[in-house]
Amino acid sequence: MSFLNVERLHKRYGANPVFSEIDFSASRGELVTLLGPSGCGKSTLLRCLAGLTPIDGGRIMLDGEEISNVAPQRRGIAMVFQSYALFPNMTVRDNVAFGLRMQRTRKDELERRVTEVLALVELDGLEARYPHQLSGGQRQRVALARSLVVRPRLLLLDEPLSALDARIRRHLREQIRRIQRELELTMVFVTHDQEEALSLSDRIVLMREGKIVQNGSAETLYTAPKDAFVAGFIGHYNLLDADVAGRLLDRSFSNRVAIRPESIQLDASQGIAGEIVDHSLLGNVIRYRVKARGVELSVDVLNRSASSLLAPGSQVRLAIAEESIREVA
Amino acid sequence: MARASMYHRLVVWLLLLVLVLPLAATLLYSLATQWSASLLPAGLTFDWYLRLWSEPRFLAAFGRSLLVCAGALAFACLLVLPAMFVIAYHFPRLDAVMNVLILLPFAVPPVVSSVGLLQLFAGGPLALVGTPWILIGCYFTIALPFLYRALTNNLQAIELRDLMDAAHLLGASTFRAALSVVLPNLRKGLVVAVLLSFSFLIGEFVFANLLVGTRYETLQVYLNNMRNGSGHFTSALVISYFMVVLLVTWAANRLNRDPSSS
Repeated sequence: MSFLNVERLHKRYGANPVFSEIDFSASRGELVTLLGPSGCGKSTLLRCLAGLTPIDGGRIMLDGEEISNVAPQRRGIAMVFQSYALFPNMTVRDNVAFGLRMQRTRKDELERRVTEVLALVELDGLEARYPHQLSGGQRQRVALARSLVVRPRLLLLDEPLSALDARIRRHLREQIRRIQRELELTMVFVTHDQEEALSLSDRIVLMREGKIVQNGSAETLYTAPKDAFVAGFIGHYNLLDADVAGRLLDRSFSNRVAIRPESIQLDASQGIAGEIVDHSLLGNVIRYRVKARGVELSVDVLNRSASSLLAPGSQVRLAIAEESIREVA
Repeated sequence: MARASMYHRLVVWLLLLVLVLPLAATLLYSLATQWSASLLPAGLTFDWYLRLWSEPRFLAAFGRSLLVCAGALAFACLLVLPAMFVIAYHFPRLDAVMNVLILLPFAVPPVVSSVGLLQLFAGGPLALVGTPWILIGCYFTIALPFLYRALTNNLQAIELRDLMDAAHLLGASTFRAALSVVLPNLRKGLVVAVLLSFSFLIGEFVFANLLVGTRYETLQVYLNNMRNGSGHFTSALVISYFMVVLLVTWAANRLNRDPSSS
């Protein structure tokens, strides 16, 4: 049995189901991401795990113990909120120490643990500041430290990085992953950002309209999306209708076809003839729009040098690896 | 451009003059030894103030006013704070109802509601007319809108639900979380609202005069009863009262601005 088991969980507001038939699990020390578009029920699911929102059916097992009806104070679960939820009237140190004070931890141990965890999230030196004197990234690290210091059995993170700018988000993401591995923490991380999910997770649970669409490793979801929704959500796929794909690849398909842009080779000596329409620069990758047999495709190529850039109108040949052509429902 | 600016300045100065002139005249009159047939007072003296502040009847009235205001505000805080918390946290939809309710004391003119209160509390088991208790109850309803508005703004500024959730998950009970996480963040708004309500209530006359009158003489009723006495003396009283209100309002503004206490 896994460390965290969620079985047939459902929740509704009035007659409207928020989510239903939710089954997933997490092993000890695993980082599972709940990924999905806004309003798919992932945040409510997280609140149900924490005990902050009551469930309408199913059960939650943590470390062999059923916690479905246990008060949030006694679940041994900590949570990091999107809004940080730092106590504005307390300093960084008092915020972090709050949970230990509630547990009546001895003063010397409290001091030691708070100092330790502040060092872990690289906040030493800021102990005496108030939340309003900190940047967004620092605030979220205080929130993380406050959750870590109580040594929770399970740590929940509700879109903790979405209010931060891209560079800080990346840095904090790596920091969370490092700490999670160091402490062998079990984490459930909610996000709507597929890049965040792919880079962080051991496993991704992809949700849509209150249901789990696919549950698997990041690699599986990326390379073997179950349907067009997964393909569209998890990566920048070329999604072609069956007849369009048939025209391009010269054979018949019964379903839609998904082709990843980086699996198409441009400089092949033989293959399908095409013409560059335009390009956009995505940092280390150039994304071309190529028209071949009347079908427009995205093709990703590593950005090696400015001289290798193909101008609009250039004639190219496309080679598409057989294993990268996926039929999706 | 310059002419428009001149015009704006003129309007502001004129307004200021209209507002300050009566006060300045009262101040001067309260400091004058005699001022009747001449353009300027005959001489200046602090005598009226000394007499006022050593007058036992004035001091008693002032004390009573303080007591009634403090009582009403303490009562309001004790009742409104928990009620607001429960509404904001458990029944946020009731906020709309409360917004209508707190306007009711403004909807009925004091003279009209006094008549009603006189009828209701003149006899029977709750014969409160003539006692300070009816004033405390009355002032409570007047202070309610000020307190409620200020606290609602404060509550909206903090993420109440997330803060409570975070505290709960860290092991705090609802009571403990409200006490150590929510209440300290409302302190500033509460103090400002209390001070402003105080400066407003201490000048209240209609209810005090109609419901209690001389049976429990408050500051404004005392001032009214003194109207046939020396004008210099009542001027000193008005200026003293004004200084108290000014001081309290200044303190409220000061607290409202101070960023370090946020």
